[in-house]
Amino acid sequence: MYKAEVRGPLILGNKDYGQITRDIIAPIDNKTPGWWKVAMAISVTLASIGIFSLYYTVRYGLGTWAVNNSVAWGWEIINFVWWIGIGHAGTAFSIFLLILRQKWRTSINRAAEAMTVFAVMCAAIFPAIHMGRVWLAFYIFPYPNTRGPLWVNFNSPLFWDFIAISAYLLISASFWYFGMVPDFASIRDKAKTKAKKAVYGMLAFGWTGSTKEWLRYEGLSYVLGGIAAVLVVSVHSIVSTDFASSVIPGWHTTLFPPYFVVGAIFSGFAMVMTLMIVIRKYYHLEDYVTDSHLNAIAKILVFVSLIMGTAYTTEVFMAWYSGNPYEMFTFFHNRLTGEYSFMFWAMVICNAVIPQVMWSKKVRSNITALFIISLIINLGMWYERFNIVVTSLSKDYLPSSWTTYSPTWVEIGIYIGTIGIFTIGVLFFFRFIPMIAISEVKSVLKPTEISEKH
Amino acid sequence: MNTTHIIGVFDSKSDLLAGIESAKSKNITIDEIYTPYPVMEAIDAMGRKSRFTTAAFIYGFAAVVGVLSFLYYTSVIDWPINYGGKPTNAFPSFIIITLVLTILSITILSLFTFSVRAKIYPGKKYILPDERSTDDKFIILFDKKTAGAGFEAISAALKANGASEVYEKEV
Repeated sequence: MYKAEVRGPLILGNKDYGQITRDIIAPIDNKTPGWWKVAMAISVTLASIGIFSLYYTVRYGLGTWAVNNSVAWGWEIINFVWWIGIGHAGTAFSIFLLILRQKWRTSINRAAEAMTVFAVMCAAIFPAIHMGRVWLAFYIFPYPNTRGPLWVNFNSPLFWDFIAISAYLLISASFWYFGMVPDFASIRDKAKTKAKKAVYGMLAFGWTGSTKEWLRYEGLSYVLGGIAAVLVVSVHSIVSTDFASSVIPGWHTTLFPPYFVVGAIFSGFAMVMTLMIVIRKYYHLEDYVTDSHLNAIAKILVFVSLIMGTAYTTEVFMAWYSGNPYEMFTFFHNRLTGEYSFMFWAMVICNAVIPQVMWSKKVRSNITALFIISLIINLGMWYERFNIVVTSLSKDYLPSSWTTYSPTWVEIGIYIGTIGIFTIGVLFFFRFIPMIAISEVKSVLKPTEISEKH
Repeated sequence: MNTTHIIGVFDSKSDLLAGIESAKSKNITIDEIYTPYPVMEAIDAMGRKSRFTTAAFIYGFAAVVGVLSFLYYTSVIDWPINYGGKPTNAFPSFIIITLVLTILSITILSLFTFSVRAKIYPGKKYILPDERSTDDKFIILFDKKTAGAGFEAISAALKANGASEVYEKEV
């Protein structure tokens, strides 16, 4: 019979409130570690490659990419969807668990939200640069203009996408920052230097922790949590309509919105796991990000992996069941077999097969294994986007327009650059921002742990 | 202008709540409570209520009306465009933009409301009676003029209920 165990303490090590503050702000107070400088040097190098590739694209035009009339969307859209997917889970994680009152979120939500903000920033680069004349990107804003005034096409999923991504970036950044205000105040009041007190004082907006402030803080966090939960579902559904509202075989399916949302949560949770393992290891925060936290994320990943497997199977089944020869061709001759079959099978193995090993408790408690699996999932999700974008476009209804696609160094360079930009953001986050929500962690400390000390 | 305040310092939430109870039972008026994390019982004890959800609903309603009107104006009145014979007032395809912009409006307006009501904004000159309250202490603040009891009485009441420290300070 199933036996429920009482959940252990969320925070280990018999901490008191003061210890929590000290532990979490220690990385901000301590000297910059050597590994951080090395990681930053690598990230800056990667970002520089990206910036040069972006410059090259703007200077010489989109002809420097391998996209063509048939495969009009290449690595740029793959990477856009990939980054948005990763960015998605930060909010999903933080907000769904907030609404469900899952207290174990408190150790992880801050890093997840940070990841969202940096990932969405990286994602935004791709559609902007894909416009070709990036300096005219402001044309997409719906404002009274001198071109008629000609309004944008409000019925276009691509415009919905623009609105959704911009709103998502603004909302997730606000949610993230507003959550940090009480923690900035804690750093301000513990600061040893005047400069630090001034900087964190400015960031803390004069927070004091009075009941008047906490009441509104709680009210705002539930309002934002409630409405942003809708956004988590809508943003990636909108991204999926970029594909699903077209008539391209392999894209034109009602499965896409839930498939994309779940896929996004899958890759994002995997990235959250990667980040939390790094934070735990390098900042010795094992008492806050405990094995049970990683265990909980791993269980979610196994479950979501099953949904992914079901989605992949459903797509193939529907291609056969629909009796549509174009769908049949796309799935059976251009995905399961054919020149891009590696991408399809790599996607299935990375996303639907390998994560199943996390059914085993032994694997879930092995940090190295979890770290490797989390990276494999993100790789698998990249393969998934390649599989969707390139296979459908490369061979459409007209065999005369069939073509193959492999990226140029410029496209690869931009992708590498966004990885650098993302890691620069994450490294700054590690160094200057409390990685764990101090006030929220204090609120989940069990009263018994405090009273035992007196 | 600074006035003399009496400050009770507590180490834990349970002690704080006992301190609040004892002050209330003795009809001592609490000026404010400062805690390192949100303590709902302390907020209730101060008799504070928030109408945030009502405000958010009003913002949302206004945003829905505003965005739909804007889309109707641009797509039907100002510059109607024929996309393959589809109706210019394409209501179903307006829903997504309306949803997203409504959420954005609620977020931005709620943040402003929070800033105004909680008086939290960049460069604010704040008064924090005891800096330890953002770290590990729970603070009850009494205004000596309006508390309704003297330092000795308040100190005795709080200390009997677990206050680790009670002192006077100009705040």
